[in-house]
Amino acid sequence: MFSEPAAPTAQGLLAPPSAKPPTFPRVPVSGYLDCSQPFQLGERSFSRQYAHIYAVRLAGMRPGLERCAWSRWGNDIMLRKLSELQAGEKCCVVGTLFKDMQLQPSILQEISEEHNLVPQPPLPKYIQPSDELTLEDELQRIKLEGAIDVQRLVTGTILAVYGSEQDDGRFLVEDHCFADLPPPLPWNGPSSDRFVLLASGLGLGSVSGEALLSTQLLVDVVTGQLGAEGEQSCAAHITRVILAGNLLSQNTQSRDTINKAKYLTKKTQAASVEAVKMLDEILLQLCTSVPVDVMPGEFDPTNYTLPQQPLHRCMLPLASAYNTLRLVTNPYQANLDGVRFLGTSGQNISDIFKYSSMDDYLEILEWTLLAGHISPTAPDTLGCYPFYKSDPFILTECPHVYFCGNAPHFQSKLLQGKEGQRVLLVTVPDFSATQTACLINLRDLTCQPITFSGFGADNED
Amino acid sequence: MEQPRRITDSFPRRRRRRGPGRPPGRLKNKKNKDEDKDKVQVKLRDCPRAPSQPSPDPALLEMLRRFDLSWEYGPCTGITRLQRWERAQELGLKPPGPIRDALLEHRDNPDVTY
Repeated sequence: MFSEPAAPTAQGLLAPPSAKPPTFPRVPVSGYLDCSQPFQLGERSFSRQYAHIYAVRLAGMRPGLERCAWSRWGNDIMLRKLSELQAGEKCCVVGTLFKDMQLQPSILQEISEEHNLVPQPPLPKYIQPSDELTLEDELQRIKLEGAIDVQRLVTGTILAVYGSEQDDGRFLVEDHCFADLPPPLPWNGPSSDRFVLLASGLGLGSVSGEALLSTQLLVDVVTGQLGAEGEQSCAAHITRVILAGNLLSQNTQSRDTINKAKYLTKKTQAASVEAVKMLDEILLQLCTSVPVDVMPGEFDPTNYTLPQQPLHRCMLPLASAYNTLRLVTNPYQANLDGVRFLGTSGQNISDIFKYSSMDDYLEILEWTLLAGHISPTAPDTLGCYPFYKSDPFILTECPHVYFCGNAPHFQSKLLQGKEGQRVLLVTVPDFSATQTACLINLRDLTCQPITFSGFGADNED
Repeated sequence: MEQPRRITDSFPRRRRRRGPGRPPGRLKNKKNKDEDKDKVQVKLRDCPRAPSQPSPDPALLEMLRRFDLSWEYGPCTGITRLQRWERAQELGLKPPGPIRDALLEHRDNPDVTY
């Protein structure tokens, strides 16, 4: 794959260096188009309620869902609103799902004095067998039961259910369907091997510096300073590097200094300052050689709500002198050499992981693509900007590469759709924990992991 | 910034009488009354609803209120009526055209925002 052409033709490192060192020009950048305008916020007014985003989500996804329902259950089924339901009549209803969870952290319960509750510690999963599903449309809501997996689904998903209303007022579901894969985009990919490096979770500023050697090795491979001439010629085929979030480590987030007295904290500075300086130096080395897209993540100095806005370039003075550095939003969408990339830094997937019985990040990633929405749990359990005009997280076109950052391990899958969609699903692992990044070949949509590790304390050699 | 609307805006503002003692500088009664009338008119012009524009008639306001309460176009709080109309238009819900014309005609009127 990546280093296959290197092995037979390369001069090994054991041979004396050639008289005139060869230079390998990097493949030129052609066809970059940033498509993440819907995720860039202009005016920011938080005086609106979140009802608008749910209303727009339902209104926007309803036509697609109705089409899916007709194609799945026949053209003659009846589509009804909840207010028009008649008991015992088989029909199809389109609405938003709400999952009533007992363990869901509720700020109102925590601050309520009559309950006298200690704030709940964060749990890995908040699901319980007693959770219930409710379907809401524009006016009413109804409890769901039947052939629907309560544990698997999350709040905020738009779906169509087929069944009938019972006498006790609940809706008995016989079948349900999601919006399915969005319509495909035409394929304009390159004809020769071009690679994009995806890495996430660099975790700078952490207490242990183990990942720093691996980060430096990553930078050296990409800039072509590592390996013999074979590896260097392969590295010249990397056209872009995308850093998908969590460039800073969680340790930089500690806010102990707020509770301490002022005289104790006078000379200390936030841990993130040092970490950002390190990031700037690393990005400087990368930007001199290859275009880099930097997406913010959960622990990075930008806003908390989705969509996260790009990091400000004043924090990276050395690297932002180069125009190869692009600071982009989270989620990020772009056309690289005719291949549409769409991805997030992983907050949407890990939020669904907490509220659903699905355990596999790749499975959750595939499920969000089939449900037609990048992050259905926003704004319920994940912070989100109160959009009112349109929901930018609805998937309208099928990307060619759909990735999420900060996953526990590397996984990838090529998904084929009914209408000819080909999507490469990639879960990019956390670099500070796994020292693994991903290389995606744009020509044939294949993906391979690349691991950088030095000798650890437990390695004996 | 528009001036905040007060409940007394619907009544014509009258200049308060100075009190029993006449301040120096006002010589004659007639001249006093003329000045008062002028001042009253000036006050009305300062109001947000200028008398040159026709005030919206109650039927129009009733139509706008019905537009707000119709559930097909989504929630109405927190956004202006024009924003809500344009959103409904983009979603293909076909909101009635006369409402938009009325909203644009009375753009300066704070009754139009919601």
